[in-house]
Amino acid sequence: MISQNALHHAEKCRFCFMCRHLCPIQLQTGKEINTPRAKGLILSMENKGTAKFDRDMAQTMYECLICDACVNDCATGYQPPLFIREARTEAVANDLAPESVMKLLENVEATGNIYGAEKPSFAREGKDVLVYVGEVAACKVPKMAESLLKLLEQAGVSAKVLENEPGSGAMLADLMGYVDEVAQEAKTLANAINATGLKTVVVLDSYDAEIMKQRYAAWGAEIHAQVVTATQYVSDLLKAGKIAPKASLAKKGACHDDDRLARTFYEFEPIREMAKAAGFELVEMFNKERLAKSCGSAVTLAYMPNIVLKVASGRWSDLLRTEAQAILTANPQSYLCLTQNVPEGKEVVDLYSALI
Amino acid sequence: MQVKSFMFDMIRTELEDAVGVENVSTSEVDRASYTVDYFWLSRMWQDRGAEGPKPDIIVRPGSSEEVSKVLKIANYYKIPVHTWGGGSGSQGGALPMAGGILLDMKRMNKLISIDLNSHSITAEAGMIFQQLEWYANEKGYSCMHIPSCLTCGTIGGALGHRGIGILSSKYGKIDDQCMSMEVVLPNGDIINTLPVPKHAAGPDLNQIFIGSEGTLGIITKATFRLFELPKVMKHHAFLFKTMKDGLEAGRDIMQKTQPSIMRLFDEAETVSIIKKIIGFEKRGAFLNLSVDGPDERLVDIQLEIIKEICAKYGAEDMGSEYGEKWYQNRITFFYPDHIMDIPQMFGTMDTVADFGHVEEIYWAMKNAIESNFPGVRFIAHCSHWYGWGTMIYDRFIMDNPPEDKEEALRLHNQIWNTGVRAAMEHGGVINDHHGIGLKLSRLMKEQYGPAFQVMEGLKKALDPNGIMNPYKLGL
Repeated sequence: MISQNALHHAEKCRFCFMCRHLCPIQLQTGKEINTPRAKGLILSMENKGTAKFDRDMAQTMYECLICDACVNDCATGYQPPLFIREARTEAVANDLAPESVMKLLENVEATGNIYGAEKPSFAREGKDVLVYVGEVAACKVPKMAESLLKLLEQAGVSAKVLENEPGSGAMLADLMGYVDEVAQEAKTLANAINATGLKTVVVLDSYDAEIMKQRYAAWGAEIHAQVVTATQYVSDLLKAGKIAPKASLAKKGACHDDDRLARTFYEFEPIREMAKAAGFELVEMFNKERLAKSCGSAVTLAYMPNIVLKVASGRWSDLLRTEAQAILTANPQSYLCLTQNVPEGKEVVDLYSALI
Repeated sequence: MQVKSFMFDMIRTELEDAVGVENVSTSEVDRASYTVDYFWLSRMWQDRGAEGPKPDIIVRPGSSEEVSKVLKIANYYKIPVHTWGGGSGSQGGALPMAGGILLDMKRMNKLISIDLNSHSITAEAGMIFQQLEWYANEKGYSCMHIPSCLTCGTIGGALGHRGIGILSSKYGKIDDQCMSMEVVLPNGDIINTLPVPKHAAGPDLNQIFIGSEGTLGIITKATFRLFELPKVMKHHAFLFKTMKDGLEAGRDIMQKTQPSIMRLFDEAETVSIIKKIIGFEKRGAFLNLSVDGPDERLVDIQLEIIKEICAKYGAEDMGSEYGEKWYQNRITFFYPDHIMDIPQMFGTMDTVADFGHVEEIYWAMKNAIESNFPGVRFIAHCSHWYGWGTMIYDRFIMDNPPEDKEEALRLHNQIWNTGVRAAMEHGGVINDHHGIGLKLSRLMKEQYGPAFQVMEGLKKALDPNGIMNPYKLGL
C-alpha cells in the first residue's frame, strides 16, 4: 500500500481535527469523509485490516483538490496530500480509480493532455525568455496566453514558445501521484527547456511552476534556466516601467490568490500590482493570501465538475460579501473554474488581458 | 436476513426522499469515518486494530425541515439517531454507539443574519465555529468564543456540550453567549426558544437544550452575542511559589479586575508542557493572563492592579514575553506531536468548583490518582475562572498503558471513576466544559442524586422512544 512515510502522515492526521475548517470540499459537501483526518483515518484502518481499499475508498481520495490549505494550517508540518497522492497511485495501479479519472489518463496517453484534443500551439521564436504556456491556458483559456505574450512584446521582451510544448507532469501527478510517468514527463520538458539555452522560463500557470521548481531536481530533471512565475515577471516589468499603467477604471476588484501562489510560493504582491496597474480599485476578500479559499483546479473540474462548481461557488460567496464587482486572477485554472458559474452582475477578469 | 435487508432499503428510500439521494450513504468508508472522535477510548480502539461503533446509515440534512422529516421517520421506526457536527468532542458524545442513523449536520452551514444594531449573529448549527467567527470578524466584531477546537467543532457541537473558549473569564461560556436557538424536537416539531435570553417567562428553554448533547432534540440554528473586536490586548506572566498562592491571587484578580484569559499551571505542568511549548524553564506555578479592552487606559490600570495582587502573594513578575508566547502558541498545543497522543493513555478531568473547595479538590484528585495507579502522572492547570471559583483542567497521563484493548479500557475507566469521584466527594462538579458524552454518562446519577429525575422526566417527555443519542449524558 502507501509508503511508510505517507502512512506516518496518515497516522498523525487520523486523530487531528484542526484543519477541517479550511477544506473547500468539506465545506461544500459537508461530508466527514472529506476531511483530511477522515482520509488519514481510513488509510490507517486499511493498514490495520479493518477497512478495505475499494472503489469507494478510492473515490474519496479523489475528492480532494490538493489545494494545500490543510498543509498550510498544520503547526507541526504534516501533509495530507502526501498520503492522498500515494493512495491515488494505488487506486490507478489496482484499477480502482473513478471512471472519470481513468478517462483523463487515457486522454493524457493519447494526446499528452487531459482534454484529449490536440494542444493549440503558441510556438514562436524569441531570444530573451522562454514562455511556458501549459495545457490549461492553451486548450481552455487561450486568450490569457495570447495576452501574456502580447504584453511581453509591448514591453520589448523577445519571448520564445516551444513547438509541441511538452506537458509539465502537474496534471498527471494530481491524477496518479508522483510516479515514473510523471518523472519522465518532467525530464522531457526539462530537456526541451534546456535545449533552448535561454536563461529564464516564464511560467504562465503556477501549478506548472510548482512542479518544475519543487520536484524536477529530485527526479534528475533539472532545469538550467531560472523558473519564474509569469505574475512575478510581469510585475517586475511594471515596476521597471516597461508596461504602462492604465487610468483608473473606477471599478472595484478583488484578487484571488490561487492555490500555488498562495501556499507554495507565498507570492501575493505581484497580482495586486498587476490589478492596480490595470486600473482596478483593490478590495480584499476576508480569506486571502495563505488563507485564500481554493476555487478548484482544472484537473478536478475535469473529473468531478459538480463538486468543483460548488467549490467555485464558495469562492464567489467570499467575493459577494465585499464591494468588489470583479474577481481578478492571473491563473488559467482559477479563471476556468470561476467562469463556470459567475453570479449575476459580477465578472472574472484575466489580469493579463486587463493590462493590454 | 432478506426481510431485514428489504426493510432497511425501504427506510433508506424514505430518508433519501427526505434529504435527497446524494445525501444518504451506507458506504463502508463513510461509515468508518464516524467510528472515531476525540475520545481516547475510540482512538485506542482504532489504534489496536479493532472496529469502532458504526452507524448503519448516514444522513446529511440541508435544512431544519429536512431534520424534522428525518426525526419523524426515525421515531416511527424507533431508530437511534446520533448527531455529528465536527466530531471533535473528547467525551465520546457523538459516537454512534447504538448504530442506526447518523445525522451529519455540516451541510447546514449557512450564515443567516448579522444584526449590527443588536450586536448579534445567527447561523445554522452545522457551521464550523471558526467560519462564524470569520463572518463576525469581517464586520469588525467577534463572538469571543475562541476555544481550542474553534477550527474543529460546529456551532451545534459547542452548544451541545456547553463549550467554553479561552476568553471565558471575561466573555463567558457558550451558554452566556447564546441568545436564542431553533431546535428540532425528537417528534419532528421545529421550535424556537424566546428571542432574548433574559426574561421572566418561566425557565430558560435555552438552558434546557444547551448541554443536552443531542439527547433531547437537535439544535439547528443559533443566535449569539457579538462584541466589538478589542482595540488593545496585553499579555503578562507571573510565577508563584505554590499552586495555593496562585489560586488565591487568581481569586482576587477575578474579584477586582476582568482578565479575558487567565491560566494557572501547577508545577508538574509548568516543567513539562509550558516548558515544551513556550520554553519557560523555571519551577513553580506559572500563570499567564491577558487583559483586553477598547482603550489602553482601561487595560493598563487593570494590569497595574493585577501586578499588585500577584506581588502580594509573592509572585515573580515574568513580564509580557511569556504571556505573549503563550498567546501566540495557544493553538499549537493541540497539533500532533505537541499534545499527548496514542500510545500514551490520558484524560482531562475538567472539574469545576468554588474557591472554597478548589484547592482541596486538586490535592484529593492528585492523591487519589497517583496513589491508586502506579505509573500514572497527574498534571493540572486552572484555565477558566469565575467570580466565585474556577475549574481544574486536570490530566492524567500513563506512558505505557496495557496493550490489550479491553484491559486498557477497564483501567481507563477505573482511573476516571477514581478521579471524578474524588472531585465530587470534595465539592467539585463532574465537568466544566467538555461535557459528559459516553465517557462520564455512568456518573451522572452520582453527581445529581435525586435531582436527576428532572432530567429523566424531560427525556421521557421529549423522547419517549429513547431514540436520541442513546447511552449519553446518563439518559
